[in-house]
Amino acid sequence: MKKKRCIAMLLAGGQGSRLMPLTEHIAKPAVPFGSRYRIIDFPLSNCVNSGIDTVGVLTQYQPLELNDYLGTGTPWDMNLRYGGVHVLPPYQAAEGSDWFKGTANAIYQNIRFIQRYDPDYVLILSGDHIYKMNYDKMLEEHINNRADCTIAVIDVPLEEASRFGIMNTDGKGRIIEFEEKPKYPKSTQASMGVYIFSTDKLIKYLIEDENDKSSSNDFGKNIIPKMLDDGQRMFAHLFKGYWRDVGTLDSFWSANMDAIGMPEDEPEKLILNDPGWRIYYRHDSNQPQYIGEKGEPKDSIIGGACDINGKIEHSVLFNNVTVEEGAFVKDSIIMDNVKIGAGAYVEYAIIDSDVTIGNDANVGGPKENGKLSVIAKGIKVRKKGRVKQGDILTKPEEEEETK
Amino acid sequence: MNAVGLIFTDGFDVDIDDMIERRTLASIPFGGRYRLIDFPLSNLTNAGVKNIGVITKKNYQSLMDHVRGGDEWDLNRRFTGLTILPPFSTAATSETESYENRLEGLVANISYLRYLHEKYVIITGCDYIWNEDIEAFYHAHVASGARLSVMYTKKDIEKTTKTESTYIRVGDGDKVTKQEISNIRPKGAYTSLNTYIMEREDLMDILFKAFRSGKKSFRREVIRPMIDKGEANGYEAKSPIIHIDEIPNYLKGSLSLLDKDVRNAFFSNDDRPILTRVMDSSPTKYGDNAKVSNSIIADGSVIEGEVRNCIIFRNVHIEEGAVVENSVIMTDTHISKGARINYAVLDKNVTIEDNRWLSGYITHPFYCKRNSII
Repeated sequence: MKKKRCIAMLLAGGQGSRLMPLTEHIAKPAVPFGSRYRIIDFPLSNCVNSGIDTVGVLTQYQPLELNDYLGTGTPWDMNLRYGGVHVLPPYQAAEGSDWFKGTANAIYQNIRFIQRYDPDYVLILSGDHIYKMNYDKMLEEHINNRADCTIAVIDVPLEEASRFGIMNTDGKGRIIEFEEKPKYPKSTQASMGVYIFSTDKLIKYLIEDENDKSSSNDFGKNIIPKMLDDGQRMFAHLFKGYWRDVGTLDSFWSANMDAIGMPEDEPEKLILNDPGWRIYYRHDSNQPQYIGEKGEPKDSIIGGACDINGKIEHSVLFNNVTVEEGAFVKDSIIMDNVKIGAGAYVEYAIIDSDVTIGNDANVGGPKENGKLSVIAKGIKVRKKGRVKQGDILTKPEEEEETK
Repeated sequence: MNAVGLIFTDGFDVDIDDMIERRTLASIPFGGRYRLIDFPLSNLTNAGVKNIGVITKKNYQSLMDHVRGGDEWDLNRRFTGLTILPPFSTAATSETESYENRLEGLVANISYLRYLHEKYVIITGCDYIWNEDIEAFYHAHVASGARLSVMYTKKDIEKTTKTESTYIRVGDGDKVTKQEISNIRPKGAYTSLNTYIMEREDLMDILFKAFRSGKKSFRREVIRPMIDKGEANGYEAKSPIIHIDEIPNYLKGSLSLLDKDVRNAFFSNDDRPILTRVMDSSPTKYGDNAKVSNSIIADGSVIEGEVRNCIIFRNVHIEEGAVVENSVIMTDTHISKGARINYAVLDKNVTIEDNRWLSGYITHPFYCKRNSII
């Protein structure tokens, strides 16, 4: 079989505990985003749009829905005879079986998948970032630099730099030092968790890392520092554009709000309707949305099969959402199949799928007054029920009813 | 379900030349994201029909582009599925012309029918659209023992008087007693939906005989003799029906989807979804000053102006200060600020520049051809 120039390995095994309860039943990359997408659509679409047609998706935590979603890869044109999207779960082998111990170990356990395509380069991605990036430009730089490893970085404000892995580079972009969450950052170039390795170097270091019993088998903690120590050619690729980590409920909320993308003169927003860089996704069959006589959608993005008769301001609605007359939704994310009853009020909240909010119920409060409220999948908020601002409701509010 | 489907993609009784100048009737966009072919295709596949032949005549590029391998309807199977039947000259047609009527269209495709195994054939078209349980139609036909079953509606269907439609009279025990072809509905007759079911081998046989004896009309010379001999049964369709035969009826039919009952009958049946080709558009965006009421809006559109009683297709941009009412706005159309549109049908990729006012009336909509700039 013909060799592939570059394949991608997408780390999708994280539990996403800081996104609870959204990740209670699904892996983080399968969490819905931006009215109709899943988080994983962004790295996958970036791959397709960058000319990479072979992606191994390393799953471990709650993979059922993610596996279903990926299927044979048709939505991303990855249903190929040779290559395409492959789900790579941990497996048993003659010498025993292991869960993925860390990001590096997950790739290590799938070295044979990489070798099958005999690529010159391997792109390592994580499944919890929202961005539109041309990996091919990064690969070109990697080749021109004769690099062993290239790490994508983004300029972050100095005051936030201590939350990231920071790359200190020389004048030519060569990385001289890597600091994980430094207290006193020397630069503002934060690692995006996007790496390109020359395959032989990657495999060499994965094997060495696996043999090192003291290693925690992590790219950021072990592989990258080790390669730097050994004086390998490591370069930073500066990415300019929208990039957000959506690992926490707050960052997930604000990235969704960025996806509203209006007004267009705010370039830091995420533009989804870019014909030059489409984000592909798996479709549910549904009908177009209907805005009723009393519907008032403003500054929002709204998905298919919605039936809107209430007021919607600055919100992200997914598919098949019903908002009845007199209801008011502001600064919120409303996922699939949610029903918001007549006269209900929802502000600054994330409502997971299949939730029913009863008539005249009251959820959350103004953003300036406090924290985000979250209602977990399938919960029913009774008529005139109240979910206080900042509450994370994961069980039906029975207690209140008996009071 | 032991039946194959045949879909006519051309209108034989329509007066809608402007809209089908560069497409077949079957590929006319409808309902925000669909094309007319989606309705018969979904109706048939929802009933479990596995082999469907799509009979095309001309301008079928847009249709092929839409249905492709039939993936959206799960028709891309290894041994069964969708077959596009493009026109070719046969002994039934002259050497340079492809077929002119339903009979020639069917005769030209006898060879498609010959190699199938299904016992029955369901024949339908795209000028009447509905979401009806075809499985019930099939079972009713099989149970009746009739040679032919004809689907009809008792509802009063609006139509242009410029073309003819098929009407039937139905007597005791659902027997079809008479077929009439006329410009207006004869009193007491019901509208035939030109949807039939009969045995495949029987159909091949009568088509072959009709062709050999130089017959020209499917309805007049093939269907009518069966009706006259009392061999046909009627099957009443109960769901709402939209008839697309001219632009005013296209607009009325489209806007009828704003009625909740009609919309639900078409689109809210979980067992019978209307499926269409998906396009990976972004979600619908509403601007700060958008004002939208009673409208169907497809994905990829950006609405910053006012929209009332409209069907808006994909990737339409309505700028702030534009007012659009009672209209159908097709894919990729751009309406600039200050424009006012009322009772119009704007075809794909139309550009309405600043402050243009266009208005038609429900009976005489303002129609803009594809790619026009106003």
